[in-house]
Amino acid sequence: MDAVEKANEARQKNWIKDRKVGEGAYAVVYQGREATTGRKVAVKKIRVGQFKDGLDMSAIREVKYLRELKHQNVIELLDVFSSKTNLNLVLEFLDSDLEMIIKDRSLVFLPADIKSWMAMTFRGLEFCHRNWILHRDLKPNNLLIASDGQLKIADFGLARDFADPGYKMTCQVITRWYRPPELLYGGRYYGTAVDIWSVGCIFAELMLRIPYLPGESDMDQIKTIFRALGTPTEEDWPGHTKLPDYVPVGQFPRTPLRDLFTAASADTLNLLNKCLIYEPRKRISALDALHHPYFFALPYPTHPSKLPKCSTVLNRPLDEVDANVEMNATGPGVKATSKGLKRKLASPTELKARSIARRLDFSKAPPSSP
Amino acid sequence: MTSRNNVGGWLRGKTIKKAGAASSSNTRSSTPQQVQSTSTTVFGGGVKDPSGRVSEFFSMDDQCPVCKSDRYLNPKLRLLVSSCYHKMCESCIDRLFTLGPAPCPICNKILRKLAFTPQTFEDLGVEKEVAVRRRIAKEFNKRREDFPDLRFYNDYLEEVEDITFNLINDIDITETEARVARYRLENSALIELNLQREEAYVQQLRDQEETERREREARAQELRREEEEEREEREKGKREIIDKLETSNKDAAKVVAKTRANALKRSQARSSSASQLMSSSRLLRSRAAQSTNVPDVPHVPLQDNYYAYEGKFVLRPEGYLDFLSEAVRKDREGIMRGGGYKVEEAWERALRSAVAALDLPPLSGLPNQTSQSEQEGDAVMVS
Repeated sequence: MDAVEKANEARQKNWIKDRKVGEGAYAVVYQGREATTGRKVAVKKIRVGQFKDGLDMSAIREVKYLRELKHQNVIELLDVFSSKTNLNLVLEFLDSDLEMIIKDRSLVFLPADIKSWMAMTFRGLEFCHRNWILHRDLKPNNLLIASDGQLKIADFGLARDFADPGYKMTCQVITRWYRPPELLYGGRYYGTAVDIWSVGCIFAELMLRIPYLPGESDMDQIKTIFRALGTPTEEDWPGHTKLPDYVPVGQFPRTPLRDLFTAASADTLNLLNKCLIYEPRKRISALDALHHPYFFALPYPTHPSKLPKCSTVLNRPLDEVDANVEMNATGPGVKATSKGLKRKLASPTELKARSIARRLDFSKAPPSSP
Repeated sequence: MTSRNNVGGWLRGKTIKKAGAASSSNTRSSTPQQVQSTSTTVFGGGVKDPSGRVSEFFSMDDQCPVCKSDRYLNPKLRLLVSSCYHKMCESCIDRLFTLGPAPCPICNKILRKLAFTPQTFEDLGVEKEVAVRRRIAKEFNKRREDFPDLRFYNDYLEEVEDITFNLINDIDITETEARVARYRLENSALIELNLQREEAYVQQLRDQEETERREREARAQELRREEEEEREEREKGKREIIDKLETSNKDAAKVVAKTRANALKRSQARSSSASQLMSSSRLLRSRAAQSTNVPDVPHVPLQDNYYAYEGKFVLRPEGYLDFLSEAVRKDREGIMRGGGYKVEEAWERALRSAVAALDLPPLSGLPNQTSQSEQEGDAVMVS
């Protein structure tokens, strides 16, 4: 046994798997604990050898980026070890996600609660962006909630570092409802603004309690966006007609956000508006968003420990969870969601397109990445 | 507040004090910028009651100070107030102002027919004060949040009160009006924002009331439905007893007791499963009450000092002519621009990477030093 194997075994011994809490397309998630301290963790076992191309791209991405990122509002990767032919990621254990909270009809959100969640989301995202990482899959069920109320960005399976000038990136990222128009139009050169659009959609969803822009196909998504926000003109968004997949979808008038968000304050709508600007270069950055007057106006953001929490925590019997396993999980979020709470996100066609996109991206990984 | 004597002076038409003001108002009326209180829209006349009607002051001793006709001579006498706060009866107003703006018979200020408003308060001083305060409140609508601390807010309130007092008591009118105009110019954006906020707040209140009303209705309906059900249940029980007594050949008392017990069981089951609808407003209130445990703290944008080390580099505003970004800089079709790629960010990344960790002590050394450099590790991580 050489030194590497010994080290690996020592690590493996430190983490104990207790029970299975979920299963995704390429990984099984266990609840576990640290042998020395008893701290609750989630262990994600990734099957290797199942893919022709080697290890699944999203596993590589998750390890690559999470090992670098350590922040209060980003999920923490505690350890990585291998067992037999599997790769194991040890992650913080978090018991609910924002989607479960949005869907829990017994909870009432105060404006201050939404402010607090948004502040934490922007803080986590700002940290990713300052380290030049695009998350590219922000949605409520990738925003996990710790037991102390802290919101953490999870699922870096589609993350990527900021591209060098002139490098193409794939446009088949981000769950459709949260995908910005420049990706829907096939833009291959984009930046941090794509994540901001997703956050804007989440912001709106927190107020509405239903998804803001639920398109049924990629084409319909563009229409849904334009119906809500008006068709952009060349002035609103210079250059969008030159994007590879541009198709005119008809003229929709712009309706003021005030019509839909009747109870929101002027500051709130101002920030939401800035997150949903068509021209990606004009969209607000995470850093600027954190300095937006919305966050400073009264009421103060709710203290995380007082935020509404899901009443149903996953203390369900194991077989019940297994029966509701989510087979099309897009990535390695650590959560156990029952079918009732799960929304149908990826249609089969989209799933296929995605995995192809991932492979494409795999072969084109920039040589400059660290 | 204006003293009673002063008002009496006006009513008796004593114009000694106002003479100067009257002549100055004549000249003022020719300069439109400083026109004040010539129309109802400026001072707004009368005070509306909750139903939106203007409640008018009415007294048996009313007498028109101009034509001296009183309620005895003319039972339909209606006195209106001019913008200079002099009363006149409707027929006088018709007579004097039908042919266009004319001087007030009491103080000589130029008045228009449309600028007469109904009177709400007996004391015209109160009438004036209400109008002035309403006008001032419309523009001086800053809130506590708009000031860095309480001291500034108090200063502001004091200034507002000062202006109001001046306007009410006709002290330095020109100068005060100039002050108001200056304020309006300086704070137009904030005034607009606060107006919107106010509207939003009113809207919110209305919405909340609406939802509460709907909930109350739903609950009442639920109750009615339950009552109905219970009544039906009782009828059914009675019928059941009669049927059983008719068909079975058991002891009558036993049959009755058994059916009653069944009915009781059913009704209990129903009441326990009855909706325990907790009204959202009650939930809201309980959430608000709970908020005393841990105080909410003001927003702090960032909780680390990552950007405290800005200034280690300057990004050239005109950009760089590096060969890497050549394609992006040219970008003939504009697709990189359209997609939102910012070459400035690539440059910033390169510069940041170059200067990250400058000025930091080596990793080895004192324990507190290592903890600090760990924090800086975030900056070092970029490739």
